[in-house]
Amino acid sequence: MTFTSFEFLLFFPAVVLVYNLCPQRFRVWFLLAVSYAFYAFMQPVYLLLLAAVTGITYGFTRWMGATDDDDKKRKIMVWGIILVLLPLFFFKYFNFVNESIFSLLALCGVESTVPAIKWMLPVGISFYTFMAIGYMIDVNNEEVDVEKNIGAVGLFLSFFPYILSGPIERAGNMFPQLKKLPTSRPADLTAGLKLMLWGYFMKLCVADRLGIYVDAVFNNFAHHNGTTLTLATLLYPIQVYGDLGGYSLIAIGAARCMGLKIIPNFNRPFFATSMSELWRRWHMSLINWLTDYIYTPLSFALRSWKVWGIVCALMLTFLISGIWHGAALTFIVWGFVQGIYLSIEALLQKKRSSLESKHKLTKRWWYILICCVVVYLLFAFSQIFGRCATVSDAFVVIGKIFGERGSLFLDRKIKGYAILMLAILFFKDIRDEFFPSKIRFFDSKYFAVRLLSYAFIIVMIVWCGALDSSQFIYFQF
Amino acid sequence: MERTEIIEKLTAVFHEVFNDNNIVLSDEMTAKDVENWDSLTHMLMITKVEETFGIKFKLKELNKLKMVGDLINTIETKLQ
Repeated sequence: MTFTSFEFLLFFPAVVLVYNLCPQRFRVWFLLAVSYAFYAFMQPVYLLLLAAVTGITYGFTRWMGATDDDDKKRKIMVWGIILVLLPLFFFKYFNFVNESIFSLLALCGVESTVPAIKWMLPVGISFYTFMAIGYMIDVNNEEVDVEKNIGAVGLFLSFFPYILSGPIERAGNMFPQLKKLPTSRPADLTAGLKLMLWGYFMKLCVADRLGIYVDAVFNNFAHHNGTTLTLATLLYPIQVYGDLGGYSLIAIGAARCMGLKIIPNFNRPFFATSMSELWRRWHMSLINWLTDYIYTPLSFALRSWKVWGIVCALMLTFLISGIWHGAALTFIVWGFVQGIYLSIEALLQKKRSSLESKHKLTKRWWYILICCVVVYLLFAFSQIFGRCATVSDAFVVIGKIFGERGSLFLDRKIKGYAILMLAILFFKDIRDEFFPSKIRFFDSKYFAVRLLSYAFIIVMIVWCGALDSSQFIYFQF
Repeated sequence: MERTEIIEKLTAVFHEVFNDNNIVLSDEMTAKDVENWDSLTHMLMITKVEETFGIKFKLKELNKLKMVGDLINTIETKLQ
């Protein structure tokens, strides 16, 4: 069952209804049961894995809570992290490491193989594993208290709105809310449904509509010229924004309908004026996780190297981010490119801010526009490595983009839909970014305007949405 | 070292690291209030604070710093 399936349209209202009828003390267990049922609908056998990660996380955090010895606590945390990482390594990285090692051995003349694993990747494993690790580190750092209710730990790791594709939640945000689990207020329901409606628009009308074109071009890149590949490359970041941003809004909205506030995942990323700002607006829950648990300890350990310590920490953090996205060389190159961008920015940061303050550039609209465009182009370029199946494919695409012109492959119908959907998306994002209190539709004080705007978006979804239940891009991670 | 002297020296560090001589420190000030104070410049600032005051932070202490006031308190405690 995905958010765009017919089953979810029946499942979700029933869950919200029963949740509110359920006595408060049973709500954790009710939501845990429906979250496990939601997961079982997709991959029943992997529920055992989710339960095992939950058991390890619960057991090890309780064990950490039982000792005052910092050194012992840290050792328990390290073993807990290793144990929860084992399934992720086994399912996601075993084949990649296996193939890499035996390819290297073959180069040295040693012919040997270990059979590859042909099991499907457990959906959501990268997300709940990171949440479990984050919780254990927070307990070690005394940033959160140890949760004694195994139902709450189970629900934190498996909550159905975010288990499949995030946002990657934090114990510090979720546990206090899971203790209360209030009855939904009308304001929560309307706020949640509005977020879900916009999320569905982003997914079905923006991501899936653009996806038809982007997939058609990238899946047959050998037959397309550089002009067409340039357009597909420029549209791909918007497709991912619509896909993961839309999924995140549906998740945040679904939780909000039950009074729970999940952390945000996107904040109008295409208005970023630097790469570091882009990464504070794009897939924020992952980047904040990486910042807190990988980048900060690394940059702290390397701080005596001054700015070069930061460069090393950045490179390693984004390499890990690439590896998190997938066990393939393409993602490692993708992470490497992001690391290079941010490192150059870190090295030039002082000169840039001097220049900006000297000429008051940050107040000039043309400077902001140029920065946004440059950041977008750099990001779209890096995403070629995330989109192509192999690094050599990515280099063929780049070669064509820079060296092969020709007529643009673009269906008139696709063009019409895409322009309309992008106009609606960017109208809202520009309004929210630059005129947050003006031209309100969903939040208008006039009932008729609110009603018409909901109806308009629903009509758009039904009329222009790609309603064929396609998968979300981030399910593969 | 007196608290006022700590604030004076810390202000000079902020001016240099964040490249803005108009920054006036307050206990409630956070990264959101200072342009260019992000995760990249944060560690440069921490390194400069360690050099200026001749102290060493622990990672756990850094994780608990939420506002400038926390930073001043931690420096004060370490200098005692």
